Amino acid sequence: MTSQRTVSRISRILALIPYVLERSTVNVDEVMERFGYTEAQLTRDLDTIFVCGLPGYGPGDLMEAYMDEDEVVIDAAEFFGKAPRLTPAEALGLLAAGMTVIASGEASPALESGVRKLAKAVMPDADASLAVDVIDDSRNVGVLRDAAADERVVHITYRSVAKEETTERDIEPWSVFATLGRWYVLGHCRLVGDQRTFRIDRIKELKVLEEGFDRPANVPEPGVGYVPQTGDIVCVIDLSPAAKWVLEYYPVEVLSEDSGRTRIRFHSPDTEVPARLLLRLGTDARLIEGDEVRARVTDMGETLLSKYR
Amino acid sequence: MQNVVERVLNLLIYLLESPVPVTSNDVRNTVHGYADQTDEAFHRMFERDKQVLRRIGVPIKLEALDPWEIDEGYTVDPEEYAIGDPGLTKEERVALSVAARLVRLGGTEAGVGAVIKLGGLEQGAGIEPLAADLGEGADTLGELFGAIAERRRVEFVYRGHVRPVEPYGIAHRRGHWYLVGNSPDGERMYRVDRISELVVDERRGAFDKPKGFDIKAVIDAQPWETGADPVIKATVRFDEAVAWWAARSLGVDEPGGELTADVDVANRDAFIGWVLSFGESAEVLAPEQLRLAVADRVVATLGQVS
Repeated sequence: MTSQRTVSRISRILALIPYVLERSTVNVDEVMERFGYTEAQLTRDLDTIFVCGLPGYGPGDLMEAYMDEDEVVIDAAEFFGKAPRLTPAEALGLLAAGMTVIASGEASPALESGVRKLAKAVMPDADASLAVDVIDDSRNVGVLRDAAADERVVHITYRSVAKEETTERDIEPWSVFATLGRWYVLGHCRLVGDQRTFRIDRIKELKVLEEGFDRPANVPEPGVGYVPQTGDIVCVIDLSPAAKWVLEYYPVEVLSEDSGRTRIRFHSPDTEVPARLLLRLGTDARLIEGDEVRARVTDMGETLLSKYR
Repeated sequence: MQNVVERVLNLLIYLLESPVPVTSNDVRNTVHGYADQTDEAFHRMFERDKQVLRRIGVPIKLEALDPWEIDEGYTVDPEEYAIGDPGLTKEERVALSVAARLVRLGGTEAGVGAVIKLGGLEQGAGIEPLAADLGEGADTLGELFGAIAERRRVEFVYRGHVRPVEPYGIAHRRGHWYLVGNSPDGERMYRVDRISELVVDERRGAFDKPKGFDIKAVIDAQPWETGADPVIKATVRFDEAVAWWAARSLGVDEPGGELTADVDVANRDAFIGWVLSFGESAEVLAPEQLRLAVADRVVATLGQVS
């Protein structure tokens, strides 16, 4: 078994050696920051380099590597004058990271030119082959990111995902993040007096206020998903294979599954979301339990039919 | 692990420095760490160490040692080994270092491995209140990207069938990675997490991408824009409460009040689903055949809930 740890450790050694060789000595702190080393890890890797070298493995064949006061010294390692080239996975990771930040709408020109140069270097004849689409139709991601950095309160008009209703509220934005292809802002909501996550594309309007706030020392890990609460509307739905995408877009509980259908339990704060979902799915879904939802779908369906007929 | 790290470094130095390709016997008799092993143990170690080097990105080649190709030896060309210089400025390195740490792919920082090889992480200014998660990264994703960059054909199992594909590009969209490529049935899109048993063909430059191919154009399309139906123009009205929200999906200016929009529809099912997701707040005004289809879907749903 070759662990990813072994691969990463050797890869880092092969990047460290040329960096130090080119400069003959480098400050220990700089090496630790630049390559993400703890002092113990760095000492161990330098000791490893020190016992490797050309066949024969005599004193003149081995590489030199040690710490001299607060400097890292490496010598007699000319064969490692350059780091190994990027693997496709590494190149993809960095390009995708750059493109994601560019998609946030507030990237520096340096990031855009850096990504362009890197793309050209790793795929000279494959331009326009990679895209990271993290949607920001609203152009508000950058504004909220700046407000979070400056610790300024923001007034938003928000259309709730869970309730399909529009509200106005003041929020203290802590961080902006993307997951599942969408941007979110995490922060303290003054309307509910608690921590909330908002989908940025659902913010209709926003205004950054003069008022500031203090960001908590430990901002929680960002995350999305609906947390079921008492008083929720609950229904049970059977999905046909064509409707299985629902599992990826809504926080549902899978009750049973066979080749023909998937039975799920759906929690929501009101009947609006499951009712609209059922209309959207037509014959690809069947409501099994949930009288409130049944009543709302029937009502909505009849209103719609009165328009269309 | 310590022994493995030392042995792999010694092996790499030997392969880089040897003027001619070397046989596995040469490696066994020369490189520190392989002596005193049984035949079987040696071969297992050697295979594993080559695998480690390949995963690091070291291009190990197997070459014939004589004109009759009876013996073969391993070699690493120092020029092929070395990372190219993309010519990044200090500012670009800082910007890429910051981005590398903000974005996660497959549970780890997406770009840090590359930045380390490019000379390490530059220290960015302050904390960034920004983060992104691009979902599950699989080995498949890296292999596909390599195949796209080198224009190699691939073959994989998808929904129970073997698909031969000329890969054109990959894109992350709405939380998933997709491969776009040419299959025997024409240009197709595949979700990467549903691809299994991927095999990448040896030959580079095996096909040409269509001129002007742009993955972004393929990926930006709304579901109702890509389909096999003849394109029809639909007119839809959205209530004031949802008009701004619909306008963003349609890519039109956000209206002050309600919105009436003309939309080109190539996938009627997807379009009807989207309109109905607005509940009573949206209505297809024309054409009549599409209005009838919406009504049919509503009737069908009513049948499913009663």
